[in-house]
Amino acid sequence: MVDLEKLRQTAKDIVSRDDVKHIIGWKQGTYGFRVEPHFAAEPDEADALTFSPLCTNNLATYLTLAEKLPVPRGEEPDTRKVALMVKGCDSRAVVQLLVEQGLTREGVYVVGCPCSGVVDVKKVEKMFPDILEPAQAYWKNDQIVFQLPDGEKEVSREEVLPQKCLLCRYPNPVIYDELLWDEVKAWGSEDYEDVKELEAKSPEERWDFWKDKFSSCLRCYSCRNVCPMCYCEDCVLDRLNPTWTFRSVNLSENTSYHLARAFHLAGRCIECGECERVCPVDIPLMKLNRKLYKEVVERFDYEPGIDPEATPLQASYRPDDEEDFIL
Amino acid sequence: MMEGMKLQKEKLNDFLDGLRKEKYLFAPQKEGESLQFSPVSEESQVELDFQNTIIPPKNAVFPQTETLFTYQIGKLDIELPEEDRERVVLGIRPCDARAMEIIDRLFSWDEDDPYYFDKRNKAALIGLACLEPCINCFCTSFEDGGPASTAGLDVLMTAAEDIFILQPVTEKGEQLLSEQDLLETASDDEMKTVEKSHAEAAEKLQRKIDTEGIPQGLPGLWESPLWEKVSGSCLGCGICTYLCPTCHCFDIQDEVEGFDGRRCRMWDSCMFGEYTLHASGHNPRPTRRERTRNRINHKYAYFVDKFDVIACVGCGRCINYCPVNIDILNILAQVKEEL
Repeated sequence: MVDLEKLRQTAKDIVSRDDVKHIIGWKQGTYGFRVEPHFAAEPDEADALTFSPLCTNNLATYLTLAEKLPVPRGEEPDTRKVALMVKGCDSRAVVQLLVEQGLTREGVYVVGCPCSGVVDVKKVEKMFPDILEPAQAYWKNDQIVFQLPDGEKEVSREEVLPQKCLLCRYPNPVIYDELLWDEVKAWGSEDYEDVKELEAKSPEERWDFWKDKFSSCLRCYSCRNVCPMCYCEDCVLDRLNPTWTFRSVNLSENTSYHLARAFHLAGRCIECGECERVCPVDIPLMKLNRKLYKEVVERFDYEPGIDPEATPLQASYRPDDEEDFIL
Repeated sequence: MMEGMKLQKEKLNDFLDGLRKEKYLFAPQKEGESLQFSPVSEESQVELDFQNTIIPPKNAVFPQTETLFTYQIGKLDIELPEEDRERVVLGIRPCDARAMEIIDRLFSWDEDDPYYFDKRNKAALIGLACLEPCINCFCTSFEDGGPASTAGLDVLMTAAEDIFILQPVTEKGEQLLSEQDLLETASDDEMKTVEKSHAEAAEKLQRKIDTEGIPQGLPGLWESPLWEKVSGSCLGCGICTYLCPTCHCFDIQDEVEGFDGRRCRMWDSCMFGEYTLHASGHNPRPTRRERTRNRINHKYAYFVDKFDVIACVGCGRCINYCPVNIDILNILAQVKEEL
């Protein structure tokens, strides 16, 4: 059971340590059902931390997103740990970053929050429109209870959870230094029904599907920027010399953008679904990522973001690999 | 000025066909799950029952990608694009029309931008009064703003029970309406009902900001710790700027495929690191702190300094769609506290 008192006390203890810079968690947002990332550097700032079905953001992205300015001469770089609150999916990003050596184990202090699924805020806002007052929510068996100005409303999980949560197989953090409460029972099964549905279509039908979706892309790059696994300092899509993808926003360049990103995430995507959540034009990017996820599981028996000691997929080689797909 | 006119809702499609005959017509249509302003064709399903589109209609005069000219590698000639057609933007919300009036000032700052004004001068804006404002709308915070503001519009259209009322605002609007034969003069009662619905809509707005003192005070907060605090969670994506009806920055690129080259411009975002990156490798806005500070200063101080108007119309899109809940009203409230 979520224990906010324990969460805040733990956070206070952590930020009081000399070797911790700050803890990244969630706090109530500025309106309605929004929750925002919160960086607490002092114990009193930890009082605002919260955890609920509204805590959608995968905060692991902030481990690599921070832009580091050159350290002025005579000053030492800040090598303190960053403490991070993670749900199950978020923790897989931490593991994958460790696998790829994008992060050192000493550099991060992981506070695990077993999670029963977070909501799709778009669905919730459609269900309860025009709620400006900050609203809260909590889990109750198979329901999510929303505390609204006119009382509590119970909604079944199926109605408000995004697909990535309905399919989730890792609701409990796979890596942590501290676990805040008891683990929850996992519910997801891996049958890839969503991927198979697309696979069953003809290439023409699939292209029609994606053509429609990619045409509406604005190239705001929110999917790339929110992605905890997209942390190249020099992204191939920003390159101008040579230019791999033109800046022109049209179907051809948008397709190039999304396919490049999908390929670069093969064997690396940890299914947190943030790309799909942040997209302002609702491109179902997880369908693309999960297709490659399925390929990687089936071809190489490899799941990213589970074992911090693993070798990255692209760096691993097995002599007994059948390689029957290579011509 | 001509009196208010009315159009029976059932005749809307015929009315649109009439507009479309001579002109390029932009109106909100379903694209996937969401509505977008796009050119109306015979098959189009125009949707006028909406709060606001996710992507603002600035596209109609300032396309996200625009070819300035084309050329052949190894040859000296350039080919200019065809001149743009007269256009009507129908269903634009008053906030978005006001935004166009605001960016007109930028595009005519030193010299008129020919690409922008070729479309802008040929565009008639038929606005649709906003009777159900969105949760984060704050248009009434600005002098000319409001759910039925006519600033920037040529015609203001208001939906009533089974009619639309169309009120011309400019001569261009009057001319446009006089060319249509499906309109009848609206009665006094009908006009009163419309006025009442405008007043009621303004009452429905839940958010507001008193901008007093912000444009003058903002530059003084340059080194305030506030900027680090409000930008801490920023992802550096382009949502707030691309969805903003007053954001107008663009990049210019030469794109060459084989021997075919085109010089084009496309929306750019000051929230991207690349935006201010110098060829030397130096970046004067190296982190999201500086970029966020710039975004707010540009809208609420620099633009006011230069063009005497705040470059924000209160449409609420940057608040609605920010994936990490960076809320401009919240930032401005903190700014006010520090003034």
